[in-house]
Amino acid sequence: MHLKDTEDHISFRAAARAWLSENVPAGPAPRDGAASRQYALDWVAKCHSGGWSGIGWPADYGGRGLGPDKLVIWYEEYVRARAPSVHDCTFVALNHAGPTLIACGTEEQKAFHLPQILEGRSIWCQGFSEPNAGSDLASLSTTGVVDGDDLVVNGQKIWTSFADIADYQELLIRTEPGSKRHKGLSWVICDMKSPGITVRPIRNMAGTVHFAEVFYDDVRIPLSSVVGGLHNGWATAMTTLGFERKTAAMGMQLDLSVRLEDLIAMAAPKPGSAMAERLADLRAEAAALRAITYRTLFRDQANPSEGSLMRLRFAELAREISETAMECLGAEALADSDWSHLYLESFSETIAGGTAEIQRNIIAERLLGLPREKRA
Amino acid sequence: MSYDLNRNADQRQILDAAEAMLAGSYPLARLREGASDNLAEASGFGAFLLGLPEEQGGAGFGIVEEALVHVLFGRHLLTPRSLAAALAVRLAASSGDDALMAAIAAGETAVAPAVRSGNGYLLIDPAQAGMALVFGAERLELVRIADAAPEAGLGHDLSIARMPANDGQAIAETDEAGLLLLSSLLVSAQLLGVAEAARDMAVEYAGIRRQFGSVIGSFQAIKHHCANMAVGTERISALLDMAALALSDGREDAAFQVAALRRLAPKTALANASLCVQIHGGIGFSDEADAHRFVKQAHILGRLGEGQPLLDLPAPLVAFSRA
Ligand SMILES: Cc1cc2nc3c(=O)[nH]c(=O)nc-3n(C[C@H](O)[C@H](O)[C@H](O)COP(=O)(O)OP(=O)(O)OC[C@H]3O[C@@H](n4cnc5c(N)ncnc54)[C@H](O)[C@@H]3O)c2cc1C
Repeated sequence: MHLKDTEDHISFRAAARAWLSENVPAGPAPRDGAASRQYALDWVAKCHSGGWSGIGWPADYGGRGLGPDKLVIWYEEYVRARAPSVHDCTFVALNHAGPTLIACGTEEQKAFHLPQILEGRSIWCQGFSEPNAGSDLASLSTTGVVDGDDLVVNGQKIWTSFADIADYQELLIRTEPGSKRHKGLSWVICDMKSPGITVRPIRNMAGTVHFAEVFYDDVRIPLSSVVGGLHNGWATAMTTLGFERKTAAMGMQLDLSVRLEDLIAMAAPKPGSAMAERLADLRAEAAALRAITYRTLFRDQANPSEGSLMRLRFAELAREISETAMECLGAEALADSDWSHLYLESFSETIAGGTAEIQRNIIAERLLGLPREKRA
Repeated sequence: MSYDLNRNADQRQILDAAEAMLAGSYPLARLREGASDNLAEASGFGAFLLGLPEEQGGAGFGIVEEALVHVLFGRHLLTPRSLAAALAVRLAASSGDDALMAAIAAGETAVAPAVRSGNGYLLIDPAQAGMALVFGAERLELVRIADAAPEAGLGHDLSIARMPANDGQAIAETDEAGLLLLSSLLVSAQLLGVAEAARDMAVEYAGIRRQFGSVIGSFQAIKHHCANMAVGTERISALLDMAALALSDGREDAAFQVAALRRLAPKTALANASLCVQIHGGIGFSDEADAHRFVKQAHILGRLGEGQPLLDLPAPLVAFSRA
């Protein structure tokens, strides 16, 4: 058991810091729309030209094949430099669509999509949830019927982050007529410019457009866009969620520590005051979250459900930190600022990517071995 | 690989051996007899010399292994004299009293943990102890016990004694930062053990107790309590590894990691212990079940010293200013 920066790590950290300090854009990122898309793509392109795009991807696919030790160092330096949020509209492409294609895609799919993702030329979104299939994802009902060399897709997805500015979508649909639950699904690459797709942006409680409804009306998707095999979509989707919960989590969780240090600096609490105690608690919690992240990344035998544990702790802590910030702001909490915006946005943390309740069910059933709920 | 949080073969071996010793000599059922623990078996195992350098009689292990063994002590609700012994051995060693060090390590001289209260000390589990280790925020003191008056303790099964302060009694003392951090680390390790054991007992009961025709663990209200215990435990367990490694490597962030751990550990142990009582229902409130012992142990351990003020310490991860 050890955690040590070797000479190699130290020089890697220095290189990352030097590059970030010269290249991170100054000023705030646009919050939504076409401007946010352009900003994010420009940043990925810049990272790519500096050799810092998709550095955890295998070298064969344009990455640097770096292990979690170097990725952690990169993300530590990244958040400390206040580089653009890792959770922006490039998140899906870089953190799970790309890795899913690498794991399950065909050579043609990889050759076409991976360079676009790494070079900052395409934005992806994730079309899993439906109005009647949120927590219960396996009950989804958007269909794709095989017709010649195509699937003909009809139905609706909802809460699709960045659907309004995306080029491609990870689309999970029911392709085997009459199939139930996890069986008969397919994971397909959907070109968002296909005829028959209508995107209706949804404004969120923070006042920005983050997600959208997507309607499919006889949308034709070539069978060559199926990833991981026709009717085998659940396995591919689980691969996707596995990536979503691991590498990507690193940057978000480390970012929380930096954000909290900003809050402590802003609040400058009187020693011994109730606010000082609360901030100290949050600081301890952020340190613990960071320790959990390291543990999950640097242990061979991490149980997959530890991802839920890490995710749940992150989500709740993110909310607590934002709530505390609102108290520190006093009357200024009523104005739009980075902190008040973050506060409203933080309500999504315990919903998106599996709600806090669902994460608790997973922890109890799969980590602690408690019996499953009886179904009605 | 130089970022690795797996337990190596030596660590697994010492922990397996410690667990076997504890399961044999200190099963939880022993507590129902109400006798104070005899630490001879733990001493014989070498538990109190484990983390010392070999030239001081240590076994060549380090702080990390010692902390992990104290987690197991916590799980078995071993008397907190085990903490006093581990620290008193170091105080005796640093004051050059090798004979005293050997006597404490061998379990021949029992040391009761003590905390300051009012003008004096409260000694915890002081039966047969000739000296006490006083846990303070800025100082650890080894004092000789005199005039200690036994009285009823929390829930009538904690044995305590009250002793007036007397500065003349000190045998050894230290305000050395490393030892104070180690003290916080080991106290937290035992608190983690309490939290883990309370979680496991609650989960086990939730898996066998039936109501409304189902085991109660299939109800979400119970399931979510259990999940909360798992999350609570995991976060201090990960932080313990982090803090122990930082302390053992002399890393700059050691004080920060230990202080964060020390802040969270008592709350977590108490939260898990009280949920364990709750999940047991009526039997949980009875003296006959063991759930209440976790509550009491969490309170005892939580009183032993205090962590450094966390906001005063530099954070390891803050933004840097750009070119
Ligand atoms: C900001 C944001 C971004 C999102 N981005 C995407 C995206 O890009 N792609 C995508 O596919 N989806 C996305 N989602 C959707 C997200 O995955 C779902 O909202 C989430 O899984 C919950 O589903 P639901 O909204 O249908 O709520 P429901 O499933 O209807 O849940 C309602 C309430 O019931 C509780 N509940 C439901 N089932 C249980 C149960 N078994 N036990 C206990 N409680 C239960 C839930 O915890 C919740 O409190 C996003 C959501 C948000 C908020």
